[in-house]
Amino acid sequence: MNWITGTLGSSIGKKLLMAITGFSFCGFLAAHLAGNLTIYGGKDAFNGYAAHLHALGPLVTVAELGLLTFFLVHVIIGLILFLSNLKARPVRYAVNKSAGGRTLGSATMPYTGAILLAFIIFHLMNFHFVDKTDTTIFNIVSNAFSNTGYVAIYIVAMVAAAIHVSHGFWSAFQTIGANHPKYMPLIRTVSIAFAVVVGIGFGFLPIYIFLLA
Amino acid sequence: MALDAKIPGGPISEKWDRHRFELKLVNPANKRKFDVIVVGTGLAGGSASASLAELGYNVKTFCIQDSPRRAHSISAQGGINAAKNYPNDGDSIWRLFYDTVKGGDFRAREANVYRLAQVSNDIIDQCVAQGIPFARDYGGLLDNRSFGGAQVSRTFYARGQTGQQLLLGAYSAMMRQVAAGKVQMFPRREMLDVVVVDGHAKGIVARNLISGEIERHAADAVVLCTGGYGNVFFLSTNAMASNVTAAYRAYKKGAFFANPCFTQIHPTCIPVHGTYQSKLTLMSESLRNDGRVWVPKNQGDNRKPDQIPESERDYFLERKYPSFGNLVPRDVASRNAKEQCDIGKGVGETGHAVYLDFADAINRDGRDVIEKKYGNLFQMYEKIMAENPYEAPMMIYPAIHYTMGGLWVDYNLMSNVPGLFVLGEANFSDHGANRLGASALMQGLADGYFVLPYTIGGYLTGTPKADVTTGHKAFDESEKQVTDGINRMLAIDGKRTVDDFHKTLGHIMWDYCGMARTNEGLAMAQTMIQELRAEFWENVRVPGNTADFNQSLERAGRVADFLEFGELMIIDALARQESCGGHFNEKFETEEHEALRDDDNFCHVAAWEHTGDGQEPEFHKEPLVFENVKLTQRSYK
Amino acid sequence: MTKTINLTLKVWRQQGPKDKGRFETYHAKNISTDMSFLEMLDVVNDQLTIDDKEPIAFDHDCREGICGMCGCVVNGRAHGAEKGTTLCQLHMRHFDNGDTIAIEPFRAMAFKAIKDLAVDRSALDKIIQAGGYVSVNTGGAQDANAILVPQEVADLAMDAAQCIGCGACVAACPNASAMLFTSAKVSQLALLPQGMPEAAKRALNMVRTMDELGFGNCTNERECEAECPKEISITNIARLNREYLNAGFFSRSI
Repeated sequence: MNWITGTLGSSIGKKLLMAITGFSFCGFLAAHLAGNLTIYGGKDAFNGYAAHLHALGPLVTVAELGLLTFFLVHVIIGLILFLSNLKARPVRYAVNKSAGGRTLGSATMPYTGAILLAFIIFHLMNFHFVDKTDTTIFNIVSNAFSNTGYVAIYIVAMVAAAIHVSHGFWSAFQTIGANHPKYMPLIRTVSIAFAVVVGIGFGFLPIYIFLLA
Repeated sequence: MALDAKIPGGPISEKWDRHRFELKLVNPANKRKFDVIVVGTGLAGGSASASLAELGYNVKTFCIQDSPRRAHSISAQGGINAAKNYPNDGDSIWRLFYDTVKGGDFRAREANVYRLAQVSNDIIDQCVAQGIPFARDYGGLLDNRSFGGAQVSRTFYARGQTGQQLLLGAYSAMMRQVAAGKVQMFPRREMLDVVVVDGHAKGIVARNLISGEIERHAADAVVLCTGGYGNVFFLSTNAMASNVTAAYRAYKKGAFFANPCFTQIHPTCIPVHGTYQSKLTLMSESLRNDGRVWVPKNQGDNRKPDQIPESERDYFLERKYPSFGNLVPRDVASRNAKEQCDIGKGVGETGHAVYLDFADAINRDGRDVIEKKYGNLFQMYEKIMAENPYEAPMMIYPAIHYTMGGLWVDYNLMSNVPGLFVLGEANFSDHGANRLGASALMQGLADGYFVLPYTIGGYLTGTPKADVTTGHKAFDESEKQVTDGINRMLAIDGKRTVDDFHKTLGHIMWDYCGMARTNEGLAMAQTMIQELRAEFWENVRVPGNTADFNQSLERAGRVADFLEFGELMIIDALARQESCGGHFNEKFETEEHEALRDDDNFCHVAAWEHTGDGQEPEFHKEPLVFENVKLTQRSYK
Repeated sequence: MTKTINLTLKVWRQQGPKDKGRFETYHAKNISTDMSFLEMLDVVNDQLTIDDKEPIAFDHDCREGICGMCGCVVNGRAHGAEKGTTLCQLHMRHFDNGDTIAIEPFRAMAFKAIKDLAVDRSALDKIIQAGGYVSVNTGGAQDANAILVPQEVADLAMDAAQCIGCGACVAACPNASAMLFTSAKVSQLALLPQGMPEAAKRALNMVRTMDELGFGNCTNERECEAECPKEISITNIARLNREYLNAGFFSRSI
């Protein structure tokens, strides 16, 4: 066996890929959120941010392709893990209780992941793969979020994202072996804090725009 | 039959070296032509399997549990002795040898004990090399603690789980050989017979405990490492599956059983608290290093321990044995506890307990230190008794723990049946009438790592190779006998469960052949056992069938053997008209109620030969010659 | 003082690996609260035997929490709900009169059913066979004190080495993963100088074997750590991850 596929194809290898890709999504979320915050600066600020981003040209394409690759890796391996974990216990317990290890985040990873997958497709169709010739991104966003259905979908998705991240963030550290009694409590706190920031940071935007409109 | 222990000549310190030189070697290329069966995977069986496989023998190893890692050696807590003298407190091979012979009340074979002390240091080296996380001091050196019956600190330990760690070391060495293809592992098998061909042990018949299939396995030698028979008392600190069956069936095939009445009572066990109880739990006697044993001075004092003032407590071990205090050997500590309870000073609901108090140690060293040393034991106590031993003193009572008796073996650890070797607790050789704390682990590993690998070679080269296959008629006969026995039990369809019989037997043994024995009691017990055995074969109820995972059937076979073996113990106890170590006959005691030996008449090993079902066993004597140790009345004052 | 309780048991009965299995209901009466859980099952089995029914098969041996032979899932919890406790050390005082208790075997693809509550955990032995040892033959070891091991390291190694191989981590893991078990042995030997020469090979082989045996994947749910009767920490899993990734990417072993 090739040493790369051997190492990465094992249970720990797959987890490493989940950790690395997941952790980069955390970075992406942070950047995306920072950009989105310009919306509080008003229409021009937000459109300006969008224009600025597009001015980067090929860099954006590279970043997008990178994200897409990571995304595919994360989704496909996540699915493989989910299925192999189901297979590892063919007969389920009739009574199943947690011993206190699981959190809302850890117990729902595949499901919040599935919600996020659906959401991301939806999100890209609405805001990314749309004709932007006669309009601005701000208009598209305001239009969308004047609809309560959209707002609701976004809020649900962002709650799912927060829950997903609350486990994913610290879990990535554990997976790469970074568990130290001195730092782990901090990592776990940051994990929750980051989840809250993602949830509220992204989740409040549609509400803000809905109220604005 | 003359019992020749084959002790090599020369000064005691040179015997083993000389013997190792004189033993013939098996050519490395020829070792792979020999098959060896090892039954049992405790310290002795695990270490023997691994070591033999490393040498190149083909080893087939059998265990009763689902994994070889579960053998009952795993429950040993306190530690393992070695004469390393790391603490610089005056220890030496000679002192370990002397302590062991004296602790055994001068009923062990000198040469074996000396060899045990000699190889004790190698064991520690080997175990450390295997990655066993022994306790260490701040500088990174190995730590030692003292243990009952010794005035030096020679006990190596891994928290309160030394047996576990040593066993997992031997197990891992064996797993390495399984991976290498040199050990073939047969878990969930129970050995039910030794197959003897032309006087030599050539295989076993075992039952596959899952399918119920009776299997035949042939080999050039058979090594029994099947532990002790403490469960004849039903309540003991042994594991539920510990039994005498393998040893007893070997006895029935001609191997002599030596000193069956030498059983050890461990002083620091959690007291019995109900009739439903299935086993007793031992707490390491290392607890006696820091705990003080006491009872109220006044009989029937029902006050809570913290309400009994210091002046009304009797620290009876410290009072009677000022130099050893709470660290007297196990038999002495146990008998004294019983004595206090018998005169009505026992504590707790049943009155069958004494206090083991850590208050002074906690005040002196702080709770942290005590927790570090004994945390897991305290936790265990609290789980069972629902009482916090950091606050209230523990209650303890003696329980059956270890059996010094076992199949008779010579210096090579071979029984009188050629080719049948017996290691560890299953043999009788090293502990005499009483075993010192932390010496069982030492003996199991000494036998398996450092003795058998040499001596088995001597047997295999010195014996013409007879390639016996499982088709041999001796296997047919063995299998038939085993199958008949099983079918007979299943057919009885009586009214009493197997456990019910076992409990009754246990009571008889504990009452009459336990901590203190009388000739009248023993005689009575013999009749009671005969009656119980007769009832068993008429009234036992064994549900299910043989071609199945049938735990009741497994137990039934073991209890059937205990019912015969119990009588053998009593016969041995009656024959030994003296007191020594764990065998205490009330007729023979000093004015201070200590065991009174009769060296003129009983300084020997009593080896019993099976002469047929229902027949009196035949007595054989191996005189014990002490050339290096002067026989004295043991005194721990 | 001893008190007694009455219980309703819903026990998983399965004749063998091919049988589908089902729950049967039994009534355990006058159970002393000082009994251990297994002693309670003994009482039930005695009654079943007398009533000409087949007793419940369950594995057990030392009954003092160290051999690792016992273990069932009691009301959805491996070894029951008490922390740091094996089933044999779980006492009935933790149950109330009238309670209904569901008792199931440890369930995992890698643990084949044998009968009723007994399962085959030999997969754990196979993981150890893949490298859970130090390759030293008997004899020839140097003096035990020749290599200093800092006390803290010995303690950490001992924390991991306490594993009793009961399989509760697998049973409790939502994914039936054996990572805690594997990591305990890898950690013990990676921490100690004696285990270091083979550390890379050991981590690679043990993980590979674990995967092949059909255990699930660790998703850091921490149920294993919460349920382990010896309270072995998932910091060992982190160490295994480290050891494994180091070995995979930076050692010469494949």
